[in-house]
Amino acid sequence: MSLAMDPITVEVIGNHFEFVTQEMGITLVKSSYSTNIKERRDCSAVLLDAQGRTISLTAYTGGHLGSVLGLMEEVFKRYPLASIEPGDVFMANDAYSGGPTHLPDITVVAPFFHDGELVAFCATVGHHTEVGGGLGAAADIWGEGVRIPPIKIFSRGELREDVLQLILLNVRKPDERRGDLEAQFAGVRTGQRRLRELFSHYSRDQILGSAAVLFDQTEKRIRRSIALLPDGRYEFEDCMDDDGFDAQMIPIRCAVTIRGDEIELDFTGTGPQVKGGINVTFNALRATVYFALKSALAADVAPNAGLYRAIKIVAPPGCLVNCVEPAAVLNRSDAYSRVIDVILGALAPAAPDRVIAACKGATTGIAFHGWTGANNRYWSYLETIGGGFGARQGLDGVDGVQTGTSNTSNLPSEAMEMEYPLFVERYELIPDSGGAGTYRGGQGILRRYRVLADGTYFRTKGDRCKTRPWGLFGGAPGFAGRFILNPGTPGERELGSKEFNIPVKKGDVVEVWTPGSGGYGEVSKRDPAFVLRDVLAGQVSREGARRDYGVDIDEARLKQLAHDM
Amino acid sequence: MSRVGVGIDTGGTFTDLVAVDIDKGAYYYHKVPTLTADPATGILDGITELLAASGLSRRDVAAIVLGTTLATNAVLQGKWARTGMLTTAGFRDVLELARQRRPHYFNLDIPKPMPPAARDCRIEVAGRIAYDGSEITPLAEDDVRRSIELLKTKDVEAVAICFLHAYANPAHEERARAMVKSSWPEVYLCASNDILSEFREFERFATTSVNASLMPVMDRYLERFERGVARLGIRRSPRVMQSNGGAVSTRAVRAAPVNTFFSGPAGGVIGSVGIGMQLGLPELITFDMGGTSTDVCLIRGGEPAIKSERSMGGFPVRTRTLDIHTIGAGGGSIAWTDAGGLLKVGPQSAGAHPGPASYGRGGTEATVTDANVVLGRLNPNALLGGRMAMHPDKAEAVVAQLARRLGVDTTTAAAGIIEIINTNMMGAVRVISVEQGEDPRDFTLVAFGGAGPLHAADVAATMGMRKVLVPPRPGLLSALGLLRADARGDFSLTRLIPAERSQLKSLNAGLRVLARRGAQWLKGEREIKGSFQWFADLRYVGQNFELLLELPAQRLEVKSLERLVGAFHERHREVYGYEMRGQAVEVVNVRLVVTGKRRLLAAERMQPVRGTTKQALLEKRAVWFPAEAFVVTPVYARARLPADCRIVGPAVIEQMDTTTVVPPDAKLRCDRHGYLHIELAEVRAAAAKTLRRARARA
Repeated sequence: MSLAMDPITVEVIGNHFEFVTQEMGITLVKSSYSTNIKERRDCSAVLLDAQGRTISLTAYTGGHLGSVLGLMEEVFKRYPLASIEPGDVFMANDAYSGGPTHLPDITVVAPFFHDGELVAFCATVGHHTEVGGGLGAAADIWGEGVRIPPIKIFSRGELREDVLQLILLNVRKPDERRGDLEAQFAGVRTGQRRLRELFSHYSRDQILGSAAVLFDQTEKRIRRSIALLPDGRYEFEDCMDDDGFDAQMIPIRCAVTIRGDEIELDFTGTGPQVKGGINVTFNALRATVYFALKSALAADVAPNAGLYRAIKIVAPPGCLVNCVEPAAVLNRSDAYSRVIDVILGALAPAAPDRVIAACKGATTGIAFHGWTGANNRYWSYLETIGGGFGARQGLDGVDGVQTGTSNTSNLPSEAMEMEYPLFVERYELIPDSGGAGTYRGGQGILRRYRVLADGTYFRTKGDRCKTRPWGLFGGAPGFAGRFILNPGTPGERELGSKEFNIPVKKGDVVEVWTPGSGGYGEVSKRDPAFVLRDVLAGQVSREGARRDYGVDIDEARLKQLAHDM
Repeated sequence: MSRVGVGIDTGGTFTDLVAVDIDKGAYYYHKVPTLTADPATGILDGITELLAASGLSRRDVAAIVLGTTLATNAVLQGKWARTGMLTTAGFRDVLELARQRRPHYFNLDIPKPMPPAARDCRIEVAGRIAYDGSEITPLAEDDVRRSIELLKTKDVEAVAICFLHAYANPAHEERARAMVKSSWPEVYLCASNDILSEFREFERFATTSVNASLMPVMDRYLERFERGVARLGIRRSPRVMQSNGGAVSTRAVRAAPVNTFFSGPAGGVIGSVGIGMQLGLPELITFDMGGTSTDVCLIRGGEPAIKSERSMGGFPVRTRTLDIHTIGAGGGSIAWTDAGGLLKVGPQSAGAHPGPASYGRGGTEATVTDANVVLGRLNPNALLGGRMAMHPDKAEAVVAQLARRLGVDTTTAAAGIIEIINTNMMGAVRVISVEQGEDPRDFTLVAFGGAGPLHAADVAATMGMRKVLVPPRPGLLSALGLLRADARGDFSLTRLIPAERSQLKSLNAGLRVLARRGAQWLKGEREIKGSFQWFADLRYVGQNFELLLELPAQRLEVKSLERLVGAFHERHREVYGYEMRGQAVEVVNVRLVVTGKRRLLAAERMQPVRGTTKQALLEKRAVWFPAEAFVVTPVYARARLPADCRIVGPAVIEQMDTTTVVPPDAKLRCDRHGYLHIELAEVRAAAAKTLRRARARA
């Protein structure tokens, strides 16, 4: 550590970095327009150095880590550092030429100059719910919406209104897009303002030097955690149900090699990229890997560029997890939920106390759209639904939550019923859906909708309907997911996890069962008191207790216990 | 006959009491340890002692106001009552599902919080109301009866009734409540439309069940307290401070204990509002720094910022509360080094026991207080006006130990501790400002709490704030604020309708519902008259975030509705930087604030101190400042500072309950009411420069 870089200055400046992105995030959320950003906080704020390395990140969702990873490389390809001027603001969403991992994530980034030198960038990422494209399943990236390579949306402080108009003409809700983009612009302006203050307090060298020290520290921390794991090569494989076009299952394979404080993840053997939009770009894969390893090995290290240095990733181009243009990527999060499961599955023998059993394994959800009212107003509503979060050593899984890189909020049922011609009949945990084990897997969610208007369409979104989320070290798998149209009627139909444009009429019912998660450890070692507690709470049925745990509970005793507990 | 007001601020470690002879402006103060096991008894003893010492008569007590942390502690310690819940069929798990978010984004180890009503105590009842208030399925009364019997076998003490869309039509909840009441009169009971008549079921159900689970706890506590007060011969019934800054009857608090989570810190904010009024300073940021935490709140135009949701025990509690932001930074915050060798401060605190090393009570870790002692900012010999001896050698030793781990000298380590804690507190002030769309530089920082005045000037300087204000009794501001509080009730009702003239009838009907509730509440508070302020939450159709606007009257007309919509567009531009005139606007909630004004207290009559500044000088000692390193600095006795005196920093002002540090070149003025005004002129650039120099030397 140099003289100027004492541990106090680094800590003080490091805290300032966090305040910068925190304030950018508050500005973005507060001034955004759409529910998705304002209420569900599907957005992030990032501070990067002049080389495009992440210094500080306020992430409400982890996929955005990837959006920023690739963005700067792509910006620099088109705009050499020397050509970037104060007042410029860049914008991009393209998964192949722009950095972001799918088109809805629009990224805005602005340079920050100090004494005429470009020293940092401020970026905001927002998930825009609608970016044009077809209403059905797209078979390539062009069908998924308007593609924006890194463009200068502001040139020397001047908004390029014509360019913005071009983009807005290609989306269905231009006002909402504009509102959210304004919020993203406001977010980067807040970042620039805060940096100006920071640079008036501390010298350039102190600030940039602190960032360098923070990168080193994160790298050191993650390397130290890796070094604790036994050297070796650990392999795991799991399969995606299908891509929505072909019924064929798609394998995801990962071999983790640990050598001292180095870790390599090799995805060779993963199936080829597919027609349906569950492909993962390399940037998205990187973000997923960093997320999984940080969660398992060093949850509390600062998420900065230092994290990337100790980790090597190999994936053959053209495979599902390193797709090439023009593969469709809209629902890439279904695949990277599974990538996380696979990484943790591979790590399990090396780090049995750090990993969790399989989670629900997809960003399970449902999307409705239609045209209502006298003027045939277009409406669309997408919701992702939580499910089981895997059990781990010493802890039952978590019931009914978002898993993997997704952690956005739901929309209240009451709000949904106010805004859309939909009615929620049931919204509850599914008993027995978490796999049995010494530690029980988390439960999936049942959500049943009644459609209130003719001319409505929906699509299913998810995976893990054909296979079950696996347990670890003897733990049983959880329930698979299900999508059912008109359950309990003669017209009942079990749907796949990626069906598009299913027409429904007033009175039809759609039921979603999100997958549970796997259990951890031998079932026989579960404390019977926990089984009893779960039976009392209705989390495990009496049949389930007998079938899955071998615990018989008679009615009279249960009543007595219910009273005593 | 005199009239006496008594304010009681229950803190984590100490309870502050103040008695005021309301007409004469004579103030008396007392401090007792907080008895966590039996808080009521400790307080009652404190009142007895205070009144005896002041010579005021118990019979003359005209107002007694309590700030309590009871509800907060019950939640933090999970000491709420076993609670049952009747809820809409199919929605038993709303509390458990929450917003489907994991408690921590990266950490795989953190379980979800446990709801106050366990799953087997949440019973489903058929019956359904639509979002527009129409009945889809009638309430299944048999289900209600069956649920009551079932819950009786589970020994619950409280029942929450939480049905979907009850804000739009409470009929089912009211029917169920009547049934529970008649067949189970002793159970504590709370329906969601009583406590929060707003949409968003998880927030409403969580607020309702947290409230129900606290009702038995709060009731027992207030019962003991009230009985004790009466036994002392005090004829007035006590009032309790709420999080919204209003003090209300114990009856209201028993029904809605969730309204008291910020009861304690609210006193300080209301006290600051009073100061602002007295001194003509309407733009303030409060800075209340104690032993373990710091509370900050923004006051704009004399009105404290208000928030409608707080997280308590992992659950969102939606009640109107002063927007007080708390961070774990205080005098007792412990300094440590992380795995990467960086210096960190807090949020762990040495608390009162063992306390900082310099207290000599066995503390072995370096705290913020110890750093202040090492740097000469705190008196190294004694605190509390000489009542508490200090141990500077112990402070020096623990800080030196930390310094060795960091590879720096002791002074640099101590200065580092101060700089880090100041940065963290600065972050808190910035966050509340940004959230309100304000620039902190337009505000005056009001420093109070035991440690506030010690750090305020540096914290203000780091963000370019120019003015710091230190009230005469910084340690007792919260207790004083309790006595200034008006009675205040907040009421709301979701009415999601377009802001159009065709909807005026429905809007006005909603306002009438609120008017009835407000009038009823006023009656319950035994207030003769209250002022009614009307508000509405508005948004653009399709948005999911609302802006609060004031209505001109209870009844809206075509003209006033148009003006309201115009005002909404303008406010949207102000807050978010853009507006969309072409977009339809809708009303989401209507709101009512009823205020019962309390008579103002006479300001504390201070004997203006005569004499010279020199006569107030206690000593000169070496004090460390970021801009100058150690400087020989005059130390003054606050009590002897003459009115209207002016001092140019560096200076230290000591008094019984706090120490104020005035940085070099800052200008201090002591006004005739006893307030210290610190003007920070351009100290910040200089500070940064010299800080770098100091570091380079180190």
